[in-house]
Amino acid sequence: MRQHDETEAAPNEDDVLERAAEELRRPLRIDAALFDARVMDEVHRGSTGLRDRIAQLTRPRTIRVSPLTALAAALVFAVAIAGSALYFSAPRVHAMPTDIARTASGSPLVQFGFVAPHASSVALVGDFNNWDPKATPLRAASTGGVWSVEVPIQPGRHLYAFVVDGTVWRPDPAAPQASGEDYGEPNSALTVAEPGAQ
Amino acid sequence: MNHFSRLAFAFVLLVCAPIALAAQDPRLDARLDASTRDAVVALIDSARSVGIPSEPLVQKALEGASKHADGAHILVAVRMLERELGVARAALGAASSDAEVIAGASALHAGIAPAALTRMRAARTHGSLTVALAVLSDLIARGVPGDTATTVISALTVAGAQDAELLRFQQGVERDIAQGATPSAALGVRAQSAFPAAAPRRTP
Repeated sequence: MRQHDETEAAPNEDDVLERAAEELRRPLRIDAALFDARVMDEVHRGSTGLRDRIAQLTRPRTIRVSPLTALAAALVFAVAIAGSALYFSAPRVHAMPTDIARTASGSPLVQFGFVAPHASSVALVGDFNNWDPKATPLRAASTGGVWSVEVPIQPGRHLYAFVVDGTVWRPDPAAPQASGEDYGEPNSALTVAEPGAQ
Repeated sequence: MNHFSRLAFAFVLLVCAPIALAAQDPRLDARLDASTRDAVVALIDSARSVGIPSEPLVQKALEGASKHADGAHILVAVRMLERELGVARAALGAASSDAEVIAGASALHAGIAPAALTRMRAARTHGSLTVALAVLSDLIARGVPGDTATTVISALTVAGAQDAELLRFQQGVERDIAQGATPSAALGVRAQSAFPAAAPRRTP
């Protein structure tokens, strides 16, 4: 029977330390592709699936909001609702440039045009028809919501406006707006030159 | 009928006859309440007696009625227009046409001084000032400073610009403003290209 020699079998403590030191001193080589794959594995392992995300959305939560923030949010919501209501209820009105022609006799004949696709009526009012909304209705074209009328008007400077659906007063944005609003509704200005003007 | 009665009858006739004549205007009868109508009729009669065109006053009252203004508001507007028409008549001269006086009143309403109207009248002794005054008012309404607009339009008038040229000039300025130019710059550029002598001088 062979007797175990303690001095040969037991590793020398200094050798162990030396091998450990060599191991630590050896430069570390990192495989970039392997490193990326390991990182992405960790990322995917931490993320949740579609079911978890849906569960997060449906899970009741408690949200803490200050009264001031809640008031501001309510105000923004109310303004948005009111603005969209006004936008969709207001008549769509676009003006067309007013055109001036001459009749065969030389008197000025002015064509007024207006685009109001959703209007049921458009009337011309001004100081040439006693501001009477029933005096000069515009005729609607078959398509496009274009309303127009031709009116003989004396030379000079005139004020006018359009009345949409019998109640809404509109100036002609394509024409100069008259200075001052005596009654709160702006007027447009029209200047008709003498027939003989060059 | 004694002497006193005849005098009283004549007085009543003198005072009431013009009012009654004006009140016959069915346009005012149909659209104004009685007290507003009477006050407007008195203003119109007063204006007519001094040579101020009365039709613009009728139209101003009717405009207020159509816009559902109250009687007091209508009277204020009619009275202001009567005053502007009177000042315009005085500034432009008695020989000026009603159309010129109406255009002059609109220029005054836009902020032009009466003296500027007088200068423009002096610059164009022959021919109508109606279009020039209307263009002046409209340019101011578009944001062109009053003194600059007056200078340019007066210069164009002196240079002999015709009504059609003035209207084209106005359209050009308005187009430039609509495309983003400042009103003063638009006026200056258009004046420079149309009538170099009329363009306002640039200060360094």
